[in-house]
Amino acid sequence: MSEFFASIGFLQEGPFAVPRWEALFEKGMDTLWQGAATTLLVASLGLALALVLGIVIGVMSASHWRIPRAFARGYVEFFQNTPLLIQVFMLYNALPLLFEGLFLPVVTIGILGVGMYHGAYIAEVVRAGIQSIGRGQLEAALSQGFGYVGAMRYIVVPQAMRIVLPPMTNQAVSLIKNTSVIAIIAGGDLMYAGDSFAGRFGHYGPTYVMVGLIYFLMCFPLAILARRLEERLRAD
Amino acid sequence: MKKSAFLLVLALMLALSAVTLVGCGSDDADDTDADTGTEAVSDLPAGVQAIADEGELRVGVKADVPNFGLQDAASGDFSGMEIDLAYELAERMGLSMDDVKFEAVTAKTRGPLLDNGQLDVVIATFTVKPERLEQWNFSDTYYQDEVGLLVKTDSGIEGLADLDGKSIGVAQGATTRDAVLVETDAAGISVEFFEFATYPEINAALESGRVDAFSVDKSILSGYLTEDSMILDDGFSPQDYGIATKLGSDDLTTFINDMLDEMVESGDMDTLLAKWNLK
Repeated sequence: MSEFFASIGFLQEGPFAVPRWEALFEKGMDTLWQGAATTLLVASLGLALALVLGIVIGVMSASHWRIPRAFARGYVEFFQNTPLLIQVFMLYNALPLLFEGLFLPVVTIGILGVGMYHGAYIAEVVRAGIQSIGRGQLEAALSQGFGYVGAMRYIVVPQAMRIVLPPMTNQAVSLIKNTSVIAIIAGGDLMYAGDSFAGRFGHYGPTYVMVGLIYFLMCFPLAILARRLEERLRAD
Repeated sequence: MKKSAFLLVLALMLALSAVTLVGCGSDDADDTDADTGTEAVSDLPAGVQAIADEGELRVGVKADVPNFGLQDAASGDFSGMEIDLAYELAERMGLSMDDVKFEAVTAKTRGPLLDNGQLDVVIATFTVKPERLEQWNFSDTYYQDEVGLLVKTDSGIEGLADLDGKSIGVAQGATTRDAVLVETDAAGISVEFFEFATYPEINAALESGRVDAFSVDKSILSGYLTEDSMILDDGFSPQDYGIATKLGSDDLTTFINDMLDEMVESGDMDTLLAKWNLK
């Protein structure tokens, strides 16, 4: 076995050498796991925020009322057409300058950042889902005495939900990966932990491979779920 | 209307790519000219000759450190003491100033860029440390600097002791964090560290009040000094700057050490330091 490893050149010297892997496992994994916990926290609360915003704004942009529709349009265009990186940087550095002493904690910035950003994408998914449900459904509901909100809540959105679940799950995967932007504002997340360890000890090869692997482990189950949901939808 | 807008965009993209291609082409032409103009110096050690044969010396330098390595935003040209060292090194290899290709690096990128062969040498306020010697070759010290602290004048912070419970912004991949930690432990105070990838990001965090102090080598701090900020008198853990090359490139390291020795003996090093207001 050891002869086999000895025959692999890149494990002997260079950025991926065996001693570097040992150093990572000896003193780096605690840092990475702490970062992963922060990433999970930001991702889960960010996802909850994105879902709420996405559904509310998606329904607004599919509605026939002009003002909510215009507001929803503005929201979606703003967040889809500016980089998340800048939004996060502004929340971190510009907010305290605009409002004296308003220092949002970095984790909160992360949750707000990915939540609002992906909320815009989910809103588009929801809008498309609602519009794919025949107008007859809404009209039938209205004729049965439902108000607009009631018709949406009980008739249209539940049907649309089934259609939008797979793309929504893909948004969740993207959201997890995008939490890594808070690394630039010293966010303490997995990417930051990796940068920090790699920077201090120089074992960047194994460190970033491990960081990538942990992100993969977080995202892969969701990607599988998205595919399952899609297959089930097609079977129906 | 729509179609013509599309065509316009297409035409613009084509024009842009044409410009880029022409740009590359003329670069190549420059390189060939330089190659033919270069006289081969025969008595170079093998590891150095290999670079001379390539006809270019690829050097990683800082782009945001005044007096050491600073890139002019308008012209894209680099200037500073470390830039001049690179030119001197190239000359000793029989290369011309045009053969030196500068690449801006940060504390985070300089190591990997050496490892993967994109750079021949790194002259970028790179501190020599025991654990770094296991990863890269370093020349002898060409400059020594202290770690310092930049604070806002109205913060009321006048010395290290005032930093108890405060936050300090440092650069990722730099030795600052450990250096400051030794001092604060000795002083019996506790501070919190926040790491950023670049100096401008740390500076932005200091400006917005996210961190109370910006800590890095004093020479680097001097570039971020403004009317309402100051560098504390405290300075600690002298940092030895060395020229880094890939691990095992001993020919090149010896060649660089010889150059540094000769520059010190001849007084050229003093002249160079004086030129950039360094001591």
